[in-house]
Amino acid sequence: MTPSDLLERMAATFKGEVGPAIEAEYPRTQAFLSAVVLQKLAAQLRLAAEHGAAEDLARDALRRDLEQLLRETEAPLPVRDAFLALAENGDDGLCQFIEALYAAREELGETQFEALLSRVRQTMRQTLNRRMEYAA
Amino acid sequence: MSAGREAIAPDEIAERIRHYIEGKLPGAQGLQLHNMERIAVGWSHETRLFDAHWSVAGEQSTQGFCLRRDPGNALLRELSDLGDQFRVLQCLEPTALQAPKPFWYEADHGVLGAPFIVMEKVPGTCPNPWGREGRAYYEAAAGRGVLPASFTDTLATLHTIDWRRAGLDFLGVPAAGTSEFALGEVRKWRRLIAASGHGPEPVLTDLICWLEANAPKTERLCFVHGAYRTGNLLIEDDRISAVLDWELQTIGDPMYDVAYVLSDLNREGSELLSNLVPRDDFYCRYEAATGIEIDEAACRYYQLLYAMRSAAFWMSASGLYAEGRSDDVRLARTAWSVPVVLERAARDLGY
Repeated sequence: MTPSDLLERMAATFKGEVGPAIEAEYPRTQAFLSAVVLQKLAAQLRLAAEHGAAEDLARDALRRDLEQLLRETEAPLPVRDAFLALAENGDDGLCQFIEALYAAREELGETQFEALLSRVRQTMRQTLNRRMEYAA
Repeated sequence: MSAGREAIAPDEIAERIRHYIEGKLPGAQGLQLHNMERIAVGWSHETRLFDAHWSVAGEQSTQGFCLRRDPGNALLRELSDLGDQFRVLQCLEPTALQAPKPFWYEADHGVLGAPFIVMEKVPGTCPNPWGREGRAYYEAAAGRGVLPASFTDTLATLHTIDWRRAGLDFLGVPAAGTSEFALGEVRKWRRLIAASGHGPEPVLTDLICWLEANAPKTERLCFVHGAYRTGNLLIEDDRISAVLDWELQTIGDPMYDVAYVLSDLNREGSELLSNLVPRDDFYCRYEAATGIEIDEAACRYYQLLYAMRSAAFWMSASGLYAEGRSDDVRLARTAWSVPVVLERAARDLGY
C-alpha cells in the first residue's frame, strides 16, 4: 500500500465510520473535515513526483524565455538582478522578479513589461492548474 | 487555547458571566441566567447568547444578552479588536442602522480569560447561506420580496450614516479624491499575510502588485461594513433586525461593500445577489436610496481586492493550525483554499 492509498483509506474511515458515529456537532464536523484533509493530502502526495518534475521543466523554460526577452532590451538593473536570482530562490525568487517588473514598469515600457509579465503568468497558470488537481 | 474548546469549564464560564453582570447592575438581586448557548458561527470570536432575570426593589427585569469573547486565536489576528467593535456599536446606537445595543466592554483577561463585549440579544435568526437549509430559506424569502428590499435598504442606511457626527472617524479617515483607501486596505491584508507565516505565492505577489498599480480614487467616503452579506445579518419577520460582524468596518469607498454584494463569492450558483436579491432590483433600489451611482469598474477592482483578502484569510487560518494555536481541523482544511482563490484571481487578471 502506498502512503497516498493509506491516507485515502483513513479518509474513508473518518467519513464513513467515525463521523456518522459522533452526535456532538463540533467533533462530528472535525471528523468529516479530517476526512477531507486526508483525501487532499493523499491526492497531493500521489501527484508530488509528477508535479515536481513538470514544475522543474516549466521553470527551466521560463528562465530560458525570460533570458531571451531580457536580451532584446536594456532592462533596468533590479530586473536583471532579480532574473539572476530566479534559478536559486524558487517561489521567493519568482515573487521578487514580479515585484521588480512592476517597480520598473515605466523604465521597461509597456510592451516589454507586458511581454515579460505574460511569460511569467504563463508559467504561473501551469503551476495553478497542477495545484488545482488536488486543491479544488 | 484552541478554537472550539473551552479553557474554562462551561459551568464556570456561566457563573463568571453571571457574577460579572451582577456587578454591572446596581441593586440587582437574584440574578439568574437562562438559555445559555454557545453558537457555532464564524471562525473569529466566541459568541454566547443567554437571558438574564433579576429584580430591583421588587421589580422584575429581563434582558437577553449576547457575549462575544476574543479567544486569542481569531482568524483576523491583531486586525480584529473587540474594543473597537464596542466603540463602533456605541457610535451606531443613535443612528437609524439596526445594530445590537452595546452594554459593556471588558478588557481585563482575569474575568473570562480574554477580553469580551456584552451586547443586546436582538430577536431574529441568521440562516447560514452556505448550507442547503439556508439557501432554501433565502430562496423562499426572495420570492416573498420583503427581505431583498430590507437587505438593500439596510445597506443604503449604512452608507448614508453621517459618520463624522456619529463619531466613527476614530476608525481613520482616508483622504477623499485619492487612492489612500484602497492602498490602505491592500496594506492591511499584506500585514495579515505576513503574520500568517505562509510561504511565497507568486500569483499573490502579482495580484498585490496589480492592486497597488491600479488602486482607484475614492471620491465619496462612507461608513463601510466590509463584509455585508447574508450570514452577517439577523432577520426577523423577513426584515433585517440587526447588522452583525463588526470586525472589518472602515471609512472608505461604498463600492467596497457594493462589490461584496455583487460578488459571486457570496451566491454559490444562484443568480440572486447574496442568494437573495435580483441584481437589477439591487441597482435601482440602492442608487435611488443613496444617490450613489454604482461604479462597476471600481467594483471589479474591489472584487480582486477580495481575492487578496480571501487568500489572506485562508493563509491566516491554516497558519493558526500550523502554528499549533488552534486544533480546529476546519482551519487546516483552508490550506487548500489558497490555490483555489488564487486561481480565480488569475482568471480575473486575464490568465
